Amino acid sequence: MMESEVDSEQSRLKREIAELRAALNRKEQCLRELEASVSSDASAEEQVVGNALESPGRAVHTKLTNDDIARYSRQLILPDFGVQGQLKLKNSSVLIVGLGGLGCPAAQYLAAAGCGRLGLIDYDEVERSNFHRQILHSESRCGMSKAESARIALLELNPHCEIHCHSRLLYSQNALHIIRGYDVVLDCSDNVPTRYLLSDACVMLRKPLVSGSALKMDGQLTVYNYGNGPCYRCIYPVPPPPEAVTNCGDGGVLGAVTGTIGAMQALEAIKVIVGLGDVLAGRLLIFDGSSGLFRNIRIRSKRPNCHVCSAQPLITELIDYEMFCGMHATDKDNPLQLLSTDERLSVKDYHAKLQAQPHLLIDVRPTAEFEICQLPEAVNVPLVEILDDSYLKRFGKQLEDKELPIILLCRRGNDSQIAVQHVRNRFPMHSVRDLIGGLHAWTNSVDPSFPIY
Amino acid sequence: MNADGPVVNVHVLFFAKSRELANTPRSKVDLPTEITASDLLELLVSKFGLTPIRDNLILAHNESYIDNLSERILFKEGDELAIIPPLSGG
Repeated sequence: MMESEVDSEQSRLKREIAELRAALNRKEQCLRELEASVSSDASAEEQVVGNALESPGRAVHTKLTNDDIARYSRQLILPDFGVQGQLKLKNSSVLIVGLGGLGCPAAQYLAAAGCGRLGLIDYDEVERSNFHRQILHSESRCGMSKAESARIALLELNPHCEIHCHSRLLYSQNALHIIRGYDVVLDCSDNVPTRYLLSDACVMLRKPLVSGSALKMDGQLTVYNYGNGPCYRCIYPVPPPPEAVTNCGDGGVLGAVTGTIGAMQALEAIKVIVGLGDVLAGRLLIFDGSSGLFRNIRIRSKRPNCHVCSAQPLITELIDYEMFCGMHATDKDNPLQLLSTDERLSVKDYHAKLQAQPHLLIDVRPTAEFEICQLPEAVNVPLVEILDDSYLKRFGKQLEDKELPIILLCRRGNDSQIAVQHVRNRFPMHSVRDLIGGLHAWTNSVDPSFPIY
Repeated sequence: MNADGPVVNVHVLFFAKSRELANTPRSKVDLPTEITASDLLELLVSKFGLTPIRDNLILAHNESYIDNLSERILFKEGDELAIIPPLSGG
């Protein structure tokens, strides 16, 4: 075999093995969920028989075990924390929403510190692009539910922690039911609808909400609904327009930045539970990782006319948050449909018919992404330079030739459609098309050894 | 807006999305010593191209949130404004 064939065979086999491992993890997850639902049905029946439909009373710990003392000694000797702090933590329950870049370090520190009960919510499954920041998940757990993967890692860290997995999307119909069972909620989510949902639900159930977020090199942290502090809606009554929201998959993020904020969420949760120090409520912490600067902004107290947390609320039950925000409650991207099919080209057709012909192939991704991988003939013109027309100077001569087909390309085939609309307006006589599905489609349909990010 | 009165030079810090839109992490602007918060917001939005996020940002004067757009803001030389849109990633 030629070297290139060996390469492509190797990457095909590696991908197939990874897919099989992920499928195996998913099957095991289904089995666990089935077993869990059978056993919870059985225990529900027992409770009905025993006439104890109320939430099962939990024994309150009043003493530390010798193992506790040995394990937590370094924090027990903190004068403000001490035995009483440790007992409060041991009797506490924290719900972590999102087991990603924020949720992993937050859960890790809470479990390690001896939090008695952790609830983990995540609808998503572990994949390789998670590992650089979602530090509880591992290669061998690809395809497994993130909540389950985190549970395995956390129990290894601290087997005394009781962990409940909720491997599903949090939405209006299940939120109150799930959140009710916990003392403190951590918003480690990655999207705007979930942030409003959690804030409203926590106001209704009077739970403090430790809210963290991060993107690129920036992080933010505050505690909502604590004391006289505001809720999320007091600060942001109106959701941002979808086009002003960037997710980590598009904007990128450094693991050490999410890690910084996630660890601080654990810290604030511990302070709330133990009653330690000054909780970060009524203040917003802004972390700029690129300059290493932290700032505290004094934010408002409750908004007197807040629709949810004021004395006369207009919203008294949970609403449809995806509709309210005009966005999905995930950070997954939805393929855009801006162009009709005859304005587009499949990667297979491009490969078979056009690639060997004269044409102009313009890759509209940001330069940092172009440097990761690129097709051989592609020239890089980031979308912003298409939209502000600065590309015109660069291609002056080439663009005079109406016979030269112009093909635009990006990572997934969304930005390239925006670029086609713009270029076509300027050159209505040219053939201007984009590649459907972008480089992801190229890897899937033409060249399996081309990297995916 | 009172364009004839005294002006002072104020630092403006941009965070998250506003940094992308303004294309800089910090800038300086000349502002009247007294201005209503809504005029100030308008001025910053048009000067730095912040229209997409104008209804979704925290405007902080010397690290304090400006919560009332009808409020009159008093500036002195070297004051600091911060523009902080929400972050939702995680």
